[in-house]
Amino acid sequence: MTTLIASSRDYGALVKEDRVHSDIYTDAQIFDDEMERIFHRTWLFALHESEIPRHGDFKLLQLGRFPVIATRDADGDIQLLINRCRHRGAQVCEAMRGHAKRFQCWYHGWTYDSKGDLVGVTGAEAYDENFDPKDHGLTLVPRVDSYRGFVFASFNPEVTDLSAYLGATLKYIDIMVDASPIGELEVKPGVVTRTRYRGNWKQVGMDGYHPHYVHMSVFKIFSQRESTTGSAVGALHLEDPFDDRSSSRTRGFPHGHSCLDFREQRRPHADEYIEELERSEDGQRYVADMIDAHGEEHARELIAWHGDPHLGLFPNVQLIHDHVRVVIPRSPGETEVLMYPVFLKGVGDTINEKRLRAHEAFYGPAAAGSPDDAEIFERTQRGLIADQSPWVLLARGRHRERRDEDGSLVACISDEVTQRVQMQEWKRLMSDR
Amino acid sequence: MAKQIVNAPREAVTDGLLDIADQQRLERFLTFEAALMDEHQYDAWMALWEGEDICYWVPCNDDDQDPATGIAIIYDDRRQLEERMMRLKDKTAHAFRPRSRMIRSVNGVVPVRVGDGELEVASSFVLGEIRVGVQNIWLGKCLYRLRDTGEDFRILSKKVMLLNNDEAMPNLTFLV
Ligand code: FES
Ligand SMILES: [Fe+2]
Repeated sequence: MTTLIASSRDYGALVKEDRVHSDIYTDAQIFDDEMERIFHRTWLFALHESEIPRHGDFKLLQLGRFPVIATRDADGDIQLLINRCRHRGAQVCEAMRGHAKRFQCWYHGWTYDSKGDLVGVTGAEAYDENFDPKDHGLTLVPRVDSYRGFVFASFNPEVTDLSAYLGATLKYIDIMVDASPIGELEVKPGVVTRTRYRGNWKQVGMDGYHPHYVHMSVFKIFSQRESTTGSAVGALHLEDPFDDRSSSRTRGFPHGHSCLDFREQRRPHADEYIEELERSEDGQRYVADMIDAHGEEHARELIAWHGDPHLGLFPNVQLIHDHVRVVIPRSPGETEVLMYPVFLKGVGDTINEKRLRAHEAFYGPAAAGSPDDAEIFERTQRGLIADQSPWVLLARGRHRERRDEDGSLVACISDEVTQRVQMQEWKRLMSDR
Repeated sequence: MAKQIVNAPREAVTDGLLDIADQQRLERFLTFEAALMDEHQYDAWMALWEGEDICYWVPCNDDDQDPATGIAIIYDDRRQLEERMMRLKDKTAHAFRPRSRMIRSVNGVVPVRVGDGELEVASSFVLGEIRVGVQNIWLGKCLYRLRDTGEDFRILSKKVMLLNNDEAMPNLTFLV
């Protein structure tokens, strides 16, 4: 399981400190190695536990190349089962989500329960006493662990512990969860926008340099609005968070995680958000409950931060504004992006509805932001094919990055720290023997 | 997806709720609306909408996911729709440039409820879209609430149920 097929590529030669070779975005063999060496070796985000709350709830996932069924078993535990019948290999579940305590394979009728145990073999008398159904349950994803409801999985039994893998990013995940006064989020499996673009998976997100250009039309429209408080996206024009002179920062963590850190930039705006919230009953209760739960000082900063860690966890998930974004590579030039809006538990309905509308306005195939992102990734993919001059520059701000106390590299908001740490982790995993 | 017609009162599909001349006038109106969308005539299309209380809704995940607790591909009131028009017209929104070239065919136009000068109308469309060498085929059903001015019609609300609203989709950078 853990033996790697040797790669003929020298990945050290393709990833330098300040530049990468464009083959890593376009080459089919490199993509195959990425599946094997990254997606089947490191931790992947699987789902949020609230997506399958009750025994029998299930949801299909794509983890690397593998179709996986996430289930909630009779003991209330989450199981990740590879969606492949142990008889002759058919998928045992086709529905994207639903409720079922048993999965029956329609090829020859073998049946599995929500733990993956083989509980029914048709015509079992045709097997002798050496056949033990216990040996033929659905294959479990070997490592599953979670942090505050976010469930991660790895196909590599020897992968490092999840908490060590996430390291200093844990306190950024807290920003999203603690926007709920009871510290609980809800992600709904059937509430998601799914987009697809003709570009490489490594392009998605965590770039503080592009908004002024890619999202210029959004800045123009927001600048004509009277009030844009109340949503993290809408709050942009108050003071430009993408200006290198602002107190926004980019951060790069070990293991390729990255963050556009708007905490200091947003902190002074707590009063405006609280004032806006206190115009409604639900908002007043939210402010009061947040102060009860977190104390005045922390509640104020959490409200100013809007539950937005703006965090990218390598390789497949980002917690951005009001949503969880899952990145699914399909081929070197094709990527699917799933965006799940996050609902806060323990708040009035109007709070969640407002967050939802703000999210929807910017993210999705017909929204104000996502189409311009998808478009630029497609233009990039078409350009990268022309590898006469193959190097892609990621040098921005190298001279001004510094190491912070929490171990992250930090620099100005438009600096390419985020891309550099992602690529170093990419190189490390791809060069593994 | 075709349930607006399946569930319509029987006379809506037998005699029809409009006489032939009004039915033809209605079909010409929806064909005209489609032509404005195909031709990117945003101001003229916007002028078809009437009132402050409009709703332009393209559901996501399924045709009826409640926008209060679920998500939509488009869920615009007048202010949001006007911002959408600004973006569609804005040269800096590069996902919209070059523009898609489109041909759509509107059919299956069935008024399912008529009264008080208002109509609820079901229809379907096939839309061919081409942009930067890629052709996409979009299919959908619509449900309109229209006001009959006697001459033509005004749109009060429009719901567009895309066949692929539960699939990963490319950019939808034009009107449906
Ligand atoms: S392949 Fe599943 S029962 Fe035969
Ligand atoms: Fe963007």
